[in-house]
Amino acid sequence: MSSLKSHLALISALVSILVSIFLFRVFSNILINYEKTILNNYSIIIVSTKEINYLDIKEIQKIEKIDITHQINQIKKKFPTLSFDKIKLPFFYKLELNTLPSPKRLNKIEEILKSYPFIKRVLTYRSSQTKIYNLLMLLKIITYIFMVVIAILGFLLIIKQLEVWKLEHNERMYIMELFGAPFWFRGASLFKIAFIDSIVSLIISISLIFYVLNSAFYNAILKDLNIFVDINIYKEVWVLFIISIAISLFSSILVVINSKR
Amino acid sequence: MTILVEAKNLHLGYKNEIIIKNTNFNIKTKDFVFLTGVSGSGKTTIIKSLYGEVPVLEGSLKVGGIELNNIKRSKLSYLRRYIGVVFQDYKLIPEWNILKNVMLPLLIAGVDKKIAEEKAIKLLSKVKLSHKLDKYPVELSGGEQQRVAIARAIIHNPVLVLADEPISGLDEYSANLVMDLFVMANREKNITILIASHSLPNSFNIDFRQFHIEKGIVYELS
Repeated sequence: MSSLKSHLALISALVSILVSIFLFRVFSNILINYEKTILNNYSIIIVSTKEINYLDIKEIQKIEKIDITHQINQIKKKFPTLSFDKIKLPFFYKLELNTLPSPKRLNKIEEILKSYPFIKRVLTYRSSQTKIYNLLMLLKIITYIFMVVIAILGFLLIIKQLEVWKLEHNERMYIMELFGAPFWFRGASLFKIAFIDSIVSLIISISLIFYVLNSAFYNAILKDLNIFVDINIYKEVWVLFIISIAISLFSSILVVINSKR
Repeated sequence: MTILVEAKNLHLGYKNEIIIKNTNFNIKTKDFVFLTGVSGSGKTTIIKSLYGEVPVLEGSLKVGGIELNNIKRSKLSYLRRYIGVVFQDYKLIPEWNILKNVMLPLLIAGVDKKIAEEKAIKLLSKVKLSHKLDKYPVELSGGEQQRVAIARAIIHNPVLVLADEPISGLDEYSANLVMDLFVMANREKNITILIASHSLPNSFNIDFRQFHIEKGIVYELS
């Protein structure tokens, strides 16, 4: 019974750490993709008196000229008497950015753009952009804090488990050491337990993850928010496997090193 | 016979207490030695120092030519594989049955598990415990545990066996059985034996040497 408890303590700690790491990776991926989606739907509009091919702002990925022929034709239809021949029309440009700038940086970009004498008007849609940006940042912070708290709790459970292991295995390891047993021999049974527990934890974690990833609720939320997750599940399983083995083996090595001489 | 254990100006003890002072002695291969003295005289300290459990404070203590003063952990592990120890409290692994307990030194030496098992069964039959192979230490009497501990100490044919009060608290039958095992190990396997005991056994009819500790100094009695 105590042995089962001891296994469950390590397994629950490992599962919480593995799931939190996976969620962290998934949320990071979602946030990156969400940021891309926002970025695709966002651009700065400028009105210039001359044609522009280049502007010295690092965030600018593409300068796209807006074709206003259609709008001119519409105006012409409405006001047939109006002549555009003598009017020199300005150039309209859409600036696509490579990253979503912070409100502070957006102000700076606007300032730089306005400093060009040929740029007469700058439309940054600051208000809606700031709301989206702040929401994204809030999501990021909440996600990271949540994951860190779960990971800390998991590590605390592991530390507790180390103390239990130390009590359970110290006597045997000490006797083995008195007979000249090398490090790997003294820790063999502990390493075996750690390995089995990490594999069990991995299986439980992956089962939980697959259950959530394939749940209708989760997929409906992602669809509603127009968010997609492009993770390679096989790569994630490998990452979790390595983390799981590393944590449990590192913990058991600590116990063997700290066993009494 | 070559010198197996050599102590020169040896000081042993713990942080603030010197127990063995400026002592010189040597033990040759195949010797059968009794280390006697009253309780607290330092018998256990000497036994423990010989397998590196008590550090050498000053002087020199060599076992098989290896200096124990400031010995490295890896070298100490190596040395311990050539020593068999019978502890006062037996120190059997409680979660292992006696067969596996006896196999321990062979497993550490990397002997094949099957061969180790065969050797352990053979030795356990010699110590009259072949009917209790799958019993756990807690299921055995003190005398039986002591015999298991001796079997474990000699199974890998060490060059030196150290025994700390191996017959104290045992009835006469068990005590004789235990002493016979040490004699057998010494005669048949040429193992050097050092037994710490507060007195000599009642009937003992082989050649032996006796060291006596008094006031922290080891004397050899002729």
